[in-house]
Amino acid sequence: MKEINLTVNGKKHRIKIDENMRLIDLLREKLNLLGTKEGCGEGECGACSIIMDGEVVTSCLVMAFQAESADIITIEGLEKEDGTLHPIQQAFLDEGATQCGFCTPGMILSAKALLDKNPRPTRVEIKEGISGNLCRCTGYNKIVDAIEKAAILLEKGGN
Amino acid sequence: MKKEEIKLKLNVVGKNIIRVDGLSKVTGRAVYPQDIYMDNMLYGKTLRSDKPHANIKVDISEGEKVEGVVKILTAKDVPGHNYHGVLFKDHEVLCETRVRRIGDPIAFIVAETEEAAEEAMDKINVEYEELDGVFDPIEAMKKGAPKVHEDGNIVYHYKIRKGNVEDAFKECDVIAETEYKTHMVEHAFLQPEAGIAYVDDDGMIIVVASTQYPHFDQLEVAEAMGIPTEKVRIINPAVGGAFGGREDITLQIHLAMAAKATGRPVKCTYSREESFVAHCKRHPMVMKCKTGADKNGKLLAMEAEIVGDTGAYASWAINVLRKAGVHITGPYEIPNVKVDSYAVYTNNPFAGAMRGFGATQVPIAHEQQMDILAEKLDMDPMTIRMKNMFKLGSETATGQILEESVPLDRCIQEVEKVMNFTQGKKGGERE
Repeated sequence: MKEINLTVNGKKHRIKIDENMRLIDLLREKLNLLGTKEGCGEGECGACSIIMDGEVVTSCLVMAFQAESADIITIEGLEKEDGTLHPIQQAFLDEGATQCGFCTPGMILSAKALLDKNPRPTRVEIKEGISGNLCRCTGYNKIVDAIEKAAILLEKGGN
Repeated sequence: MKKEEIKLKLNVVGKNIIRVDGLSKVTGRAVYPQDIYMDNMLYGKTLRSDKPHANIKVDISEGEKVEGVVKILTAKDVPGHNYHGVLFKDHEVLCETRVRRIGDPIAFIVAETEEAAEEAMDKINVEYEELDGVFDPIEAMKKGAPKVHEDGNIVYHYKIRKGNVEDAFKECDVIAETEYKTHMVEHAFLQPEAGIAYVDDDGMIIVVASTQYPHFDQLEVAEAMGIPTEKVRIINPAVGGAFGGREDITLQIHLAMAAKATGRPVKCTYSREESFVAHCKRHPMVMKCKTGADKNGKLLAMEAEIVGDTGAYASWAINVLRKAGVHITGPYEIPNVKVDSYAVYTNNPFAGAMRGFGATQVPIAHEQQMDILAEKLDMDPMTIRMKNMFKLGSETATGQILEESVPLDRCIQEVEKVMNFTQGKKGGERE
């Protein structure tokens, strides 16, 4: 056993972990943040994507102890406390960019990491930004549409 | 009714409607079976065959000694019928004496932790006596080929006979004769199979699993458990994609048996690797086609033989190979047609439903046939299609008269606008 400190969705945690625990297991089983999904367990599908210190990582390939002192954002950290959706979530909803929904949390977080660095990306840049996230339902066009729309919403002064 | 009046009645068509489950999905709150955790729950793992065709003897005694293991289920623990299957009951819930493919389930280990279940899985001794297998569906049709199931390897033969192809081919100025092969395809839906089962206070067995077929799962669980369907409830929570890959039973019966045998909730989540071997694939097909036309490009005859490899189990093979046979003529009027479509068992991964149900494979053949004929006639690929396509009133190879919307001409004309088939080379060129 080992104890680590980390911040998840703005909240500080001190958590006991097993040395062989993955970050995705810490999030899902220790913190009950079940929006982070496991699709392949080997970093290929991107369903477990989260933002760690500003970068998108696949949480199935990060060991929990590597998150010592890290600042992590999961899908649960995007909504405001009053339930208002983040503009990226709103755009995904409005554009029909979610179908089965299993890729959606990871996809939205990859979009956030992209838009945080590049507020008005081209469609090609958006496609590159989500190239680590597989979606088997939509064919991606609606997802790219949603991220384009989110960029505009954010520019107009979303959160 | 006037057009205006119809328009007023449409609340959904032509409008952008927010999905009913959209909010739960963009917030990550949608509950898939792997997101369900119950008090006192156990974990299940499936021991699967690593040989494609073998007689087996299973000894679980070393596995049972692993700390944390609560129960190891094998064929003898199936309370009702040890079988399931959507059309034929050719799957065993847990294989008793023989495995027919890599990935056949042999034992279901129930333990306090996933780690304990995995450790026990390594300790179960499966003695394999390997049998000759058959991996090519054409070989499997031959006399003397190893039999995958007792009644022989040909599951289904679908025939179309229209007109007289032999005479019609004599009238043809050009004939295209080619063999096409398509490969197996995995659905790779993003959420691997997962489920949790428990027995409620009234003795009802509840199986929560992502499935495409809950009402049929209920029947199959009940038959395997030897109980009435009223004692089984299937709950279908969020489903993380399926595309046909969740139409057959995977873990539903194993979980029901485990919950009943232990009296505790039992959860099972497949890894991606296990998901690949657990569910069906798209049927690989071998399609031999002979298509003939006159010098003006009018189709006169088509003869086709389709062999679909359904692997070790039939699943939806009959529907898939029937649909392939019906659609092999493409969307074209052909007066003389002879089709033979077969579904054949092999020791390959089993094939079943996947997006298109047999209609997806055949355009690879019928459209290339059209291109070959166009080339032989020095005609552009669009014109030969326009000459032969189905329109209102056309009769298909199966004798159906198309009485409603058949807008293929408009579709092809739209494609022509961007592809310039007629202006470009024979094969068509982009602008």
